[in-house]
Amino acid sequence: MRMRRTVLGIAGLTTAALTLAACSSSGGGNTGSGNGPSSQNTSAAKSGGTVKVVEGTYPDSLDPDFSYTTQGLEADDTVYIPLLTYAAKEGTAGTQLIPGLATALPTVSSDGLTYTMTMRSGIKYSDGTPVQAADFAHAIERSIKISWGGSSFFTGYIKGAADYAAGKAQTISGIQTDNSTGKITITLSQPYGAFDNILAFESAAPIPSSTPMKVLSNTPPIGDGPYKFGKVVPNGSYQLLRNAAFASYNIPGIPTGYADEVDVSVNSNTTAEAQAVLNSQADVFDAGDTIPAQVLPQVMSQAKDRYQKTPLASTYYFFMNSRVAPFNNKAARTAVNMAMDRPALAKLSSGALTPGCNFLPPTIAGHADGACSFGDPTVSPSAATVAKAKQMIKSAGLAGTPVTVWSETRQPRQNFCLYLNDLLNTLGFKSTMKVVADATYFQTIGNESLNPQIGFADWSQDFPNPSDFYLLLSKAGIQRTNNENFGDVDDPQIESQLAPLEKDPASQLSADASKWQALDKYVADQSYVAVYGYQTAPKFLSDRVNFSAAVFNPVDYILFSTVGLK
Amino acid sequence: MVDQAAVVSSSIEEETTGSGDSPLRLALRRLRRNKIALFFGVIFLLVVLVCLLAPVYANDIAHTGPNANHISEIIKVNGKATPVVNTIGLPIGPTYHSKFFFGADQNGRDIAVRLLYGGRNSLAIGFMATIVTMIGALLFGVTAGFFRGWTDTILSRLLDLIWAYPALLLAAALGVSLAVGGVNLGFAHLSGSSILIPSMVIGVVYIPYVARPIRGEVLTLREREFVDAARILGYSRVRIIFSEILPNLSASILPVFFALQLAQSIVLEAALSFLGAGVQPPSASWGTMLSDGSGLISVSPHLVLVPGIMLIIAALSVNVFGDGIRQAFDPRSSRH
Repeated sequence: MRMRRTVLGIAGLTTAALTLAACSSSGGGNTGSGNGPSSQNTSAAKSGGTVKVVEGTYPDSLDPDFSYTTQGLEADDTVYIPLLTYAAKEGTAGTQLIPGLATALPTVSSDGLTYTMTMRSGIKYSDGTPVQAADFAHAIERSIKISWGGSSFFTGYIKGAADYAAGKAQTISGIQTDNSTGKITITLSQPYGAFDNILAFESAAPIPSSTPMKVLSNTPPIGDGPYKFGKVVPNGSYQLLRNAAFASYNIPGIPTGYADEVDVSVNSNTTAEAQAVLNSQADVFDAGDTIPAQVLPQVMSQAKDRYQKTPLASTYYFFMNSRVAPFNNKAARTAVNMAMDRPALAKLSSGALTPGCNFLPPTIAGHADGACSFGDPTVSPSAATVAKAKQMIKSAGLAGTPVTVWSETRQPRQNFCLYLNDLLNTLGFKSTMKVVADATYFQTIGNESLNPQIGFADWSQDFPNPSDFYLLLSKAGIQRTNNENFGDVDDPQIESQLAPLEKDPASQLSADASKWQALDKYVADQSYVAVYGYQTAPKFLSDRVNFSAAVFNPVDYILFSTVGLK
Repeated sequence: MVDQAAVVSSSIEEETTGSGDSPLRLALRRLRRNKIALFFGVIFLLVVLVCLLAPVYANDIAHTGPNANHISEIIKVNGKATPVVNTIGLPIGPTYHSKFFFGADQNGRDIAVRLLYGGRNSLAIGFMATIVTMIGALLFGVTAGFFRGWTDTILSRLLDLIWAYPALLLAAALGVSLAVGGVNLGFAHLSGSSILIPSMVIGVVYIPYVARPIRGEVLTLREREFVDAARILGYSRVRIIFSEILPNLSASILPVFFALQLAQSIVLEAALSFLGAGVQPPSASWGTMLSDGSGLISVSPHLVLVPGIMLIIAALSVNVFGDGIRQAFDPRSSRH
């Protein structure tokens, strides 16, 4: 049903303390009160000039209704403004929803089925065409028609969207728009608390109703954001040019941009990519890339004031199949969690993982820092703890049970599984590995007929809402093919706690955080998964640009509109 | 491989004339005189011997297994506490002590231990693959060369079909597909991680390279007087093959091909394992070790240097020794 968004690799280094540091760090940059460069950090960043971004991977598409990767998101975030968007801040503050093209956050009916908003007046696309309420409906319909990777978020919740997708309807009956008043009414087929987050996808950003129903990767649709696309060289480079009119719209909280031009090019050699930023030949390192271990020491010593490890809402864990022996036995699952050396796994990621043991990652409501049922995740288990875990396996009569560890090919994911394989043998299992090509790994382990016992899994947020993570541990996530609940977790207690939480609107997430935290603790206590860390990404900029003004948002990554020259 | 075809044309008869010794005895005599070939033969034997002693080294010297992770372990090197893997994931280099003599890899596994265990896998696959190649090549080459006509045409085209694919690409394609699901033989199931799979794959893709020269040699042999004599004596064709053709082949080109093919198989195994289509994790081979270390080549060169040098030594030694055998069976080539 859902797809993971990122093409992020594991990389980087630095200290775990940066998790908190980033959460409280500033950012924000040239946030628009409508009067050009304003608010914090403007003293050091200047308007004008060209910022050079180097990326390891070209965006999957520049079309906002089709793109689903980090690189595509970064580009589209500056060109298209949805009805709702995220605060241009770093850390948890950056997950806060704010009105984008809407005048305010939506009004939700008491039954949670109807969302009502009004679009700002006077907004125009970069070519001067007025933005209209109907354009929102067109964007949703187009995303469905051209098969955006996350279109199930629309078809699964908006009334009539599934019929539209199936060709049974000409329009989506659940979306009503009024161009004269700018009023937009959305009716859902079932309550979904995270629907606010769905409205903040770039694919939900209005685009001109004349935009054809086909993927326009090389000639992206006209947008309404602070930048517009310039020259696009497919799979090579693209330009973002300042949309001078945007600043006059006075949309609070949305950066209006510093640089006149942002040139994005691709260099698949990450060593060269990192060296270019280190030497200030390029200004922004791809947030979805890895700073290679051979360059890392140089970065740490020569550029420590312009490098920062930033927490992402991404959990790395080993799934354990709770329906298949030996992990249908809680003792087996608990033993793995107890004996797991999480700091060792963080080392395997070149320090890019922050050790952790709870399922919900940082920046997501409900995440609990620090220790869990198995002790402090930042400390390696003692020999006594490992011995105790071995004894648990022996006492449960599971010693010698054959286990297959499923792994991807790429490093360090395979290294994680090599570690797990060794750990399982140490605990007394008879463990072997099965390595599957990266491109087909998740489809393979998502095939229920294979009954995978244990293996690598990760999840990066589609949007900053805990319900996005808990699909992976809910009964609804279990599918015969493309299963995402790899451990086949089907626990009535999870279901009963999840049902009301999923209906709560995103605006109430902070209030519900303790409930999510309780659910997360229950999952950890049951050892349904063996979480070992949360991903971080590098915020690594050149010496030419203002580091503190540039924002690494946990949802939209590097906001190009906040990167300005010194 | 094409050069090996020259072996077929060796003038064994020329050398035997006048001495009264068999071709094999003459070849052995020439080989004993080739000190360089013998030296490299001894080197290769040493490599095999050292690899066979891997469990002894692992248990009694390094005190760790080939797959044991030591990521969080701290050891003393020259009296200084040193992490086996540092905080940014870089492994320790060679200590030249009993533990981590050649350093560790990213997972903190002892390179020296893995080198020896990996050598066992690499050599075992090399030997098994060569045996598969030789059996297959004899079957195809002798049948095609002896029976000629349609049999020859069909078998030769079949070999051409395999030959048309670059050996590495064909082996990689077969290796990857078989490594995922294993091989179901009906009466037995080969796990995807079994080293029999890369052995079979490598053995099969090299069959045409050996079968063709064998066919050529058989075409020559079947016209010889002693074969005619056997026919006149009423020997069946199968009996002629086993009593006249095969003994002549085994005394001439088979030893040469075996040695040279062994080197080829060891190198192809390394290539396949490097590409992930050979030995499967967590098992070691020199190819997988090269692959594991390739990402850190600039900061931890020992990860690729150690298995790389070992691979060169093994392949070079068996190649030079095989060349010595070729020269022993092909005296004309040594005068070139």
